[in-house]
Amino acid sequence: MMNLTIDKTWDTILEQIRNWARINSPWAIHYNSGSCNGCDIEILATLTPRYDLERFGVKLQGSPRHADVLICTGPVTRQSRERLLRIYEQMPNPKFVVAVGSCAISGGAFHGCYNVIGHIDEVIPVNAYIPGCPPRPEAIIDGVVKLLNSLKNPEKIQ
Amino acid sequence: MTSEEALNKAGALLAPLGSETPSPDPLRKDAILPPASLPAAAAALVEQGEFYLSAITGMDLGPEAGQLEVLYHFCHAGAVVTLRVQTPRQQPEIPTICGSIPHASLYEREVVEMLGVNILGAPDTSHLYLPEDWPANTYPLRKDFVAPQAPDSAPEVGESQPGSSTGRFVVPIGPQHPALKEPGRFEFSVDGEIVTGASVRLGYVHRGIEKACEERNWTQGMYLLERVCGICSHTHAFAYVLAVEKLAGVEAPPRAQAIRELLAGLERIHSHLLWLGVAAHEAGFDTLFMYSWRDRETVMDLLEKLTGNRVNYSANILGGVKCEITSELAETIRQGLDFLENRAQHYLTVVTTDASFLQRTRGIGVTTYEQALHFGLLGPTARASGLVRDIRVEAPYGAYKSFPVSVVKETAGDLEAKFIVRIKEIFVSCAAIRMILDNLPGGELAARMPRKIPAGEAISRVEAPRGELFYFVKSNGGEKPERVHARTPSVNNFASVMQLAIGHQLADVPMILAGIDPCFSCNDRMVVLRPRHGSPQVWSWDELLRYANQVVRR
Repeated sequence: MMNLTIDKTWDTILEQIRNWARINSPWAIHYNSGSCNGCDIEILATLTPRYDLERFGVKLQGSPRHADVLICTGPVTRQSRERLLRIYEQMPNPKFVVAVGSCAISGGAFHGCYNVIGHIDEVIPVNAYIPGCPPRPEAIIDGVVKLLNSLKNPEKIQ
Repeated sequence: MTSEEALNKAGALLAPLGSETPSPDPLRKDAILPPASLPAAAAALVEQGEFYLSAITGMDLGPEAGQLEVLYHFCHAGAVVTLRVQTPRQQPEIPTICGSIPHASLYEREVVEMLGVNILGAPDTSHLYLPEDWPANTYPLRKDFVAPQAPDSAPEVGESQPGSSTGRFVVPIGPQHPALKEPGRFEFSVDGEIVTGASVRLGYVHRGIEKACEERNWTQGMYLLERVCGICSHTHAFAYVLAVEKLAGVEAPPRAQAIRELLAGLERIHSHLLWLGVAAHEAGFDTLFMYSWRDRETVMDLLEKLTGNRVNYSANILGGVKCEITSELAETIRQGLDFLENRAQHYLTVVTTDASFLQRTRGIGVTTYEQALHFGLLGPTARASGLVRDIRVEAPYGAYKSFPVSVVKETAGDLEAKFIVRIKEIFVSCAAIRMILDNLPGGELAARMPRKIPAGEAISRVEAPRGELFYFVKSNGGEKPERVHARTPSVNNFASVMQLAIGHQLADVPMILAGIDPCFSCNDRMVVLRPRHGSPQVWSWDELLRYANQVVRR
């Protein structure tokens, strides 16, 4: 009979298992809050065979309630702000936000347009920023991998 | 009827109704009309002159002039007839032309919300792009417009209660959904399986680019307009630079023009392969989705080698282009085209022979020739119904005069025809690109442009992957444009979907929608069903897709 001694509490172990699962298979949801499409098609390209983000366990799916990561593109327009907030609030904790593209980070080329109220982190907190107009698929993968690596540090997870 | 004959006929039709004004372009005719005779003139042009309404541009002539001017652009092949109507700024009123041209409604709604023109007798004057809570009497395209403060919390827009309380079942879709990657909101009312009504709410990605162009200089405007849409960014810049070059009286060197056409060709191949994948995904055919996107990377590589960027190429400058084609690059492009043609041939075989796929496309979402005409369809969507609307052929611009393309036409009008047209257009683009590479003119890449653009108005029409793109640019002689108006093809094509969906199975709606290759960011320069607690009758797009695929499997 094998004797196994565990020096951690169950809560810690469970949390470690959850975190392991989270890092290995984050589910992502994508919302375009006013983008030109450029970033959106690059996100899609990231999922298709050449770049294949799914090899890191990342799965893009449709419902905010199943998502760990919200991938945002574009500046936030007046009409889409409420929807962006709503999607964010529907996501279960812990949740992470990735802002993809110059517009999502700063408003980009659309800064100052009358129907643009700002960039993503003026509306919801952002964990990772991926710059570019649009960022290359490699950059998107790099951003996602960096986000996942940061999760290995448990303080970052609330 | 040639363009010249069409212009002469238009002149004869308009003579009793208004006075003609000189126009800078031999293929254009401008006529000033009193508002009252507008509906008659529009009806005459469409019914007797074989013209179609291409765009309505609203302009504010400024508080000093005290007038608003609305321009109705009618096209026939290369001819453009513009009906100009002025109305006082204080009480702007213009009668509707929807009596003879039903699809004008969308354009009229734009004029209503952007300029505050009261369209008398219009079937619909609700907001098209602007949010529902937009303050009253605030019109973005007026010269004295001050952007309103965004409210701290805005109510959710355009929300009607789902369910069967009104005796009909409403299936809302959007504005966040995984299939189209862009936000828009649709509501379909259904009777059992059959769609009985449909409405769309746009404006989620309306950013206000036309207004922003008025605050940027001529060069900055080009980079902004490129970002109207990331899929056809070259086409937007192309249309804009053509218009500005017309105003400045500068013609881009032949080599630059040829490179512009070559880029437009590569962009069309990338856009059509992208659409093929997305449309296949809507049908539940994910293998085709992955294959077509894998192959699309080939054309993305070519675009990158040519311009330095995969999306938003910024290849144009005012007066020319900034990317050069070397002989090694030409060889790489040829090899890429060989591969793409080979793959496109395979896809053509798949979409015309795969039995389960044909169940989803053959005879579904049929648009007849008459309907296409009625809705003012454009691009491949129109060409799949036998309506030839292709600016590259009807009114060749830039290098299309030297390197012509052929028209791909199908007559069935169903989804299968839409697949065939788009795939065959890949071959046409490949052939045109080869012809350009073999006969690339030498010389400079750019002509010198003045910093200030002379006052005037210019129209440019360019065939985008989705159809005719219409640009109107007005200069007042300064460093910034006075007015830039872009009318994108998706606006016209959208209106048709809402009508076409009626009478179809709910399960076919995603495919019918994908059939027009909708582009929301073009459209809104700006849709989703929301999963909601306690109301199982509300479906997400995901669920609808899954359901659609189940129905077909049964």
